Amino acid sequence: MLFDIEIGERVHRVSVEREGARYRIVVDGRADVVDAARVDSATLSLIVVGERHESHEVALLERGEPGALEVHLRAGVVAARVRPAGSRRGGAQAPGGPGGPVKLTAPMPGKIVKVLVSPGDEVGPRQGLVVVEAMKMENELRAPRQGRVASVHVQEGALVEAGRLLLVIE
Amino acid sequence: MKVLIANRGEIAVRVIRACREMGLPSVAVYSDCDRASLHVRYADEAYPLGGNAPSESYLRIDALIEIARRSGADAVHPGYGFLAENEAFARACAAAGLVFVGPPAEAIERMGSKTSARQAAIEAGVPVVPGTTGPLPPNATEAEISSVAGQVGYPIFVKAVAGGGGKGMRLVAEPAELPSAVRAARSEARSSFGDPAIYIERQLQRPRHIEIQLLADASGTVVPFTERECSIQRRHQKVLEESPSVAVTPAKRRELADAAVAVARAVGYVNAGTIEFLLDEDGRFYFLEMNTRLQVEHPITELVSGVDLVRWQLRIARGERLDLSPGLTLSPRGHAVECRIYAEDPDNNFLPSAGLVLGRRVPGGPGIRRDDGGVTPGLEVPIYYDPLIAKLTAWGGSRDEAVERLGRALGEYEVRGIKTSIPFFRWLFQNDDFRAGRFDTTFLDRELAARNGVPFVTIAAGAEHIALLAAAIHAFERAAGNAGAAPRGRAASAWTLRARSDGLRNG
Repeated sequence: MLFDIEIGERVHRVSVEREGARYRIVVDGRADVVDAARVDSATLSLIVVGERHESHEVALLERGEPGALEVHLRAGVVAARVRPAGSRRGGAQAPGGPGGPVKLTAPMPGKIVKVLVSPGDEVGPRQGLVVVEAMKMENELRAPRQGRVASVHVQEGALVEAGRLLLVIE
Repeated sequence: MKVLIANRGEIAVRVIRACREMGLPSVAVYSDCDRASLHVRYADEAYPLGGNAPSESYLRIDALIEIARRSGADAVHPGYGFLAENEAFARACAAAGLVFVGPPAEAIERMGSKTSARQAAIEAGVPVVPGTTGPLPPNATEAEISSVAGQVGYPIFVKAVAGGGGKGMRLVAEPAELPSAVRAARSEARSSFGDPAIYIERQLQRPRHIEIQLLADASGTVVPFTERECSIQRRHQKVLEESPSVAVTPAKRRELADAAVAVARAVGYVNAGTIEFLLDEDGRFYFLEMNTRLQVEHPITELVSGVDLVRWQLRIARGERLDLSPGLTLSPRGHAVECRIYAEDPDNNFLPSAGLVLGRRVPGGPGIRRDDGGVTPGLEVPIYYDPLIAKLTAWGGSRDEAVERLGRALGEYEVRGIKTSIPFFRWLFQNDDFRAGRFDTTFLDRELAARNGVPFVTIAAGAEHIALLAAAIHAFERAAGNAGAAPRGRAASAWTLRARSDGLRNG
């Protein structure tokens, strides 16, 4: 079976076959044989069978859009996106190319204490935009780059969920 | 004795455990968002406070007293935070005929004001950090304040009299910065503590934060414990503590302990409390403040002394006398280190990271203790409270062994779905100066500034390849029809619980 798996900034063509209890996986022409055992509903034990039998424990979580995965490794979390090979979905969003609009979203659930800018304002990099209160602390969210505030989507006093769109800079 | 625990999270669980061991019935209270949390499930009885914000829930003195009455509780343990150092709460408990598991209200009040606490230390013959003995007069002119600051000697701290936890505190390096610092500290003190009074203290150069835990009973016996070293602080907040300190000799320990006992006696202290000191490079120490409650970092003292502080709090509250020998409590057995694991993102300026926990892997093995409020998959870390989710503590026969064990355990620990400070600690444990015990209260902020935003979480190419292999196996199993039942988002894994698992052996 063939898949396109996006990890980091790159899309890899990946072929997977099962051979008994093992998987033969070819990524960009490099082949690995992996022995996988399920530990619990989220967790896999992987042994990459080569000269050394490298042991890894990973947990997989589906979050967000279909095909979007979080792979939890000892070192940290890697975001991946899986789709059937060749099914390049229409205009995979390139979030914030150098000149494109940037969406500022709430990094955590909380209360909007202050909105420091209005639509049309010019902002500089790291300029404060919105103050969110969460866990008894006030946190100022800053502009990721220079630009102009295209729209503001929250009001002071509002309670927001993580990921909620707060404003757009273009 | 039936005990109401006026708190939540790991400390509520800790107190209920002590009650259970002693055969004492326990009563939990909870806010709306804490309904399913561990302290509620673990207690014998649980009553709703309503609301979520602390002022609508855990800070409601009337509601707590009413629940104590309704449940037939005869004692109240305040934990730390919330109402633990609120003399009005201690008085309300006494008025309702409830035993407050803590000091008398008068001692809380005396030590709650920084300037009257300094006065108490001076009366007990204990040196205080040089500074003003009382609050600055509210109507003092700029010239008067400037003259006082000049006598104390720059650099100075302007501090809130009612302060604590780094709030209402401003560092002033030179006279020109003084007027604005005074205004800022007064305004922050008014909004945080309802009291704009401030005073001035000299900033010591590169001190260590050293504190002495003590227990005192109603008959006047005061037992001091081996010092805790709490110099690893980020913006004046402790993030890691250890006991003993590499900077304290047995003779210095004796001096610190004597000073702590003198201060406690001077205010008629009863139950568990902690005297904080600053220790300078020349070995001189100065009284800083007293915490009139159990502290977050009490487990490290328990590990090196073998004394259960929470059980002793309850025993003292029911009138028992201390029978601990200071010879024992001042001779540490081995070494203990604790990390405060917070729900915050070290790669985003340590912003709080509340939300749904999707999975976790907990550390264990030799010497590891984890005090955890029950942050388990499917539960939310709420936005309303302190973001401490667990305390991870290691004991070892030596400091090196304790540090190696804790470093190893941090590698095992994972909490998925929210960001935590675990990656920050993994970095800290690689730091040579930390490993060698060479630090003071300014160390961590300097090291963090020197990182200049380098991410704590870095994924090597090799690890990314493993992630790709795991994603490929997942995609294959999904496509082979072993998909379907994965509840997305909530408490779930992509890895579905399937009836058949052809390719995968169950582990």
